[in-house]
Amino acid sequence: MALPQRKTDIGPPHYKQFLPPVIQKNYGKWKYHEVINPGLMVHVAESGDKIWTVRVASPRILATDTIREHCDVADKYCGGFFRYTTRNNVEFLVSDEKQVEPLRKDLAARGFKMGGIGAGITNVVHTQGWVHCHSACTDASGLVKSMMDELMEYFESKRLPNKVRLAVACCVNMCGAVHCSDIAVVAVHTKVPTIAHENFKNMCELPTVIGSCPTRAISPDPANKSVKINAEKCMYCGNCFTVCPPISIKDPERDGVAIVVGGKINSLRTSPKFSKLVIPYISNEPPRWPKVVAAIKHIVEVYAKNARKHERIGEWIERIGWERFFSMTGIDFTFQCIDDFTFMRDTMRTSSTFKW
Amino acid sequence: MEMSELQDKIFAFCEAAKGKKKLKEKDIINGINAESGLDKDEIKKALREMINVGRLMYSYGGGASSVEIPSEEYLREKGLIK
Amino acid sequence: MKKYDTPLIDELEKGPWPSFVTEMKKSAKKNEMANDAVGHLEKCFKTKVGYWKHGGIVGVLGYGGGVIGRYSELGDEFPGVAHFHTVRINQPSGFFYTSAALREICDIWDKYGSGLTNVHGSTGDLVLLGTKTEALEAIFAEYSSRGWDLGGSGSALRTPSCCVGPGRCEWTNYDTLDLSYALTQEFQDEIHRPTFAYKFKIKMSGCACDCVASIARADMSIIGTWKGNIEVNQDEVKNYAKNGMDINAEIVGMCPTQCMSYDGKELRINNAECSRCMHCITRMTKALRPTGERGATICIGSKAPIVVGSLLSWVIVPFIKVEPPYTEVKDLVRKIWEWWDENAKPRERIGEVIEMKGMRSFLEGIGQAPIPQQIKEPRKDPFMFYTEDDMAAFKAKEAEEKKTGKYKF
Ligand code: HEM
Ligand code: HEM
Ligand code: HEM
Ligand code: HEM
Ligand code: SF4
Ligand code: SF4
Ligand code: SF4
Ligand code: SF4
Repeated sequence: MALPQRKTDIGPPHYKQFLPPVIQKNYGKWKYHEVINPGLMVHVAESGDKIWTVRVASPRILATDTIREHCDVADKYCGGFFRYTTRNNVEFLVSDEKQVEPLRKDLAARGFKMGGIGAGITNVVHTQGWVHCHSACTDASGLVKSMMDELMEYFESKRLPNKVRLAVACCVNMCGAVHCSDIAVVAVHTKVPTIAHENFKNMCELPTVIGSCPTRAISPDPANKSVKINAEKCMYCGNCFTVCPPISIKDPERDGVAIVVGGKINSLRTSPKFSKLVIPYISNEPPRWPKVVAAIKHIVEVYAKNARKHERIGEWIERIGWERFFSMTGIDFTFQCIDDFTFMRDTMRTSSTFKW
Repeated sequence: MEMSELQDKIFAFCEAAKGKKKLKEKDIINGINAESGLDKDEIKKALREMINVGRLMYSYGGGASSVEIPSEEYLREKGLIK
Repeated sequence: MKKYDTPLIDELEKGPWPSFVTEMKKSAKKNEMANDAVGHLEKCFKTKVGYWKHGGIVGVLGYGGGVIGRYSELGDEFPGVAHFHTVRINQPSGFFYTSAALREICDIWDKYGSGLTNVHGSTGDLVLLGTKTEALEAIFAEYSSRGWDLGGSGSALRTPSCCVGPGRCEWTNYDTLDLSYALTQEFQDEIHRPTFAYKFKIKMSGCACDCVASIARADMSIIGTWKGNIEVNQDEVKNYAKNGMDINAEIVGMCPTQCMSYDGKELRINNAECSRCMHCITRMTKALRPTGERGATICIGSKAPIVVGSLLSWVIVPFIKVEPPYTEVKDLVRKIWEWWDENAKPRERIGEVIEMKGMRSFLEGIGQAPIPQQIKEPRKDPFMFYTEDDMAAFKAKEAEEKKTGKYKF
């Protein structure tokens, strides 16, 4: 079978052909929007034209048949136009108000979940995990599914003081900016890597491996034509494993996850913030990670009860103080919570004013 | 210099580094430029032509991409040799 | 097709949130590769380790990226995932699609791959998960002949991505969709042919809400902003108050610069002191809107923690015009790459290189003057460099002062 002639360097198709007519007409001339409910909003243009958006949850891993179902729905109610969001939701774009309710009914009948708009919990930014990455110490999709099953009410209906952005990274590479989320799960190794010395020479470049270690724990091991790792300096980041396959760091009984909180991306009120470590270790418990899910739910609930309206988790904690966060949530404070990597000098307290 | 002569030079340069150093495109361009004084854009053009026909290829490892001489397996997969 | 018993991941088909396991099984029904991926995943859940190997060098002729090699250690047990490569398809700006376009993408993918996708990957690409090496050239021919190109991977410019912007957002300060498209087209060579020290990501948000998280995960973050006043529609302010908003507590009291006041009737803003954080505008979108000159702030350097800690992007160019044909932005990108190229060791992101070589070297390299908008606070230590030129300038200034009899600090 003859293949079509390939083309190179063409880039993506021009976006304009994918914009519904009402967007083409009012492009860049939007006046305001209203969130009608967590699954529905309307944008109103200067011209008075309106476009309704129905937002639907997605597990991000999609079978082509599910994408086709999105297409069918869009054909029926949206003239074939729809989009996905940066957090992997689906958005059906409706130009005709009369189609909004039938669309919502149809989506509900098909089992799609609508929500995620406004001050609640939307889809979880996450990485590949066991589904598809060599570096994973846990499964990202499985964690996301387990968390969101439990937090569903915050997606569909229940409101919070502000958005709570969740993320999961399946190793400390943290593909995908989990380091600035309200609450994120980061999978961690907890053991010094082992080295298959006999393969080192063929598969790894010595300077690259030594250079890969952030704490300079790696030094040459001439006797083995390999390297050795100083266990007192290694903090199990796995970077050496990344650059050198004969180094092995996975350990099913010791790999686990940590929970970080209080990050944010936007500049509203306060500058963007990194998330900070509060729970250093929970064992990997597939398929449902019950303790991780319980910890996240607990933090969300304490926040919901105590934060002021519009405060993100990080802003709330900065107002009350981290010592108060730990006492309010009952989370044990451990050595891991004290930065002994690059940020110690900025993160220790330098005054005698704090709360008991 | 003739294009084919330049390309042979580039190939020899890559062959000499094989197994010793991972070359980035820039290393090759600067290296040939230092050897021969040829214009860098011209070297880049010659290099790209070689990559387009599979005489050289982009490779990936050490977290960074590099340029290498393709393996037979690669050439076979691309239908460039039987 | 082999039937796998999957009690563990079956648990993840229960519950209200859409299940990725259901998706995988949906593809598995008609596709051998997806079927083995299901069995493979069950095994990971059982043993609590992954079996994916460090990838491999695969790709399409002439390109150095866009395909990510993925092989399983368990190729004999699960032959369908022995090769399971990822293909990155460059998404259209703002993730807008038509059903016709996506159906075509799905049909090609079903023909050559597992039928599994990520819509989308965190970089922005439409990710096709799981195909074999020998299918790659055919996949590329099929997609590119229909107008779809591959995205970036490796030491290259990664596929640029942007927020929905003028497509559907009243807050955008520039045309994010168009800039994303323009930069993607301008830098095709840098996307497909990896020549950098490491990856480089550009992300574009129309305002400080930063819906694509550019400040945290792009080497170059282009964030829309304005120079001008926030226009207040007092009638709409009254409506918000009437509908139960406590304007003093929720708006005035939470303004970070304390530049607003409200006497129960009128909302006033001391615009000169506003830092354009977007809080008030996002809460009262009908009442408040920016006016005046529009453009963007350019921040550089963010990355995840590997190797020596995460970075957020630093403000480099506080204000830049963002208008077609975007010459100013493109020139700046080129200057940034030039400096990075000269100074980086392999695998060094630009933020790390700036830390190593110093912000001064970078700013001078790209021709940016130092200004206070770039910093949170000045340095705290006295360990600074004085070049001969700096000293000459200080001395010249003092000589000038002697002449005029007026100090200029
Ligand atoms: C010295 C050896 C290696 C080093 C230093 C290394 C390092 C890295 C780094 C830093 C990344 C993330 C960077 C990026 O996304 O571009 C990465 C990703 C990856 N690595 Fe490795 N790696 C090594 C060996 C390998 C080998 C031997 C393979 C395959 C045979 C491999 C396959 C992959 C793949 C498929 C990715 C994902 C690429 C992407 O997301 O674009 N790696 N590796
Ligand atoms: C040594 C470091 C790293 C390694 C080995 C690594 C490896 C990988 C691999 C293998 C994948 C592809 C997974 C797949 O589709 O099969 C990936 C994806 C990705 N990486 Fe990394 N990565 C590294 C660092 C980073 C960093 C520092 C960032 C961001 C600042 C990053 C951002 C991404 C993103 C955005 C993706 C796409 C993820 C997705 O769509 O789920 N990576 N990385
Ligand atoms: C290597 C760095 C520094 C050296 C060698 C140094 C040395 C000195 C010396 C020799 C004195 C005079 C002591 C005396 O005889 O009264 C002094 C005083 C002082 N230094 Fe520094 N200093 C350094 C850095 C700093 C820095 C970074 C600060 C503040 C940010 C600082 C603040 C002071 C103050 C407040 C005094 C007392 C001045 C006074 O009593 O009027 N020093 N330092
Ligand atoms: C080579 C380094 C330094 C030497 C030899 C030195 C010596 C001295 C001496 C002799 C005094 C006077 C003590 C007195 O009043 O009897 C003093 C005071 C002081 N030094 Fe240092 N100093 C040094 C570095 C520093 C540095 C680095 C700092 C701050 C970062 C500092 C801060 C101060 C301060 C704040 C005082 C004043 C204390 C007061 O007013 O009671 N010194 N130093
Ligand atoms: S976070 Fe780690 S394990 Fe997860 S996709 Fe990225 S590199 Fe792979
Ligand atoms: S795991 Fe990280 S800290 Fe430990 S030796 Fe490897 S690179 Fe160094
Ligand atoms: S970043 Fe700003 S302009 Fe862009 S979609 Fe978000 S709120 Fe709108
Ligand atoms: S944009 Fe932010 S700083 Fe400016 S007036 Fe509004 S709340 Fe205050």
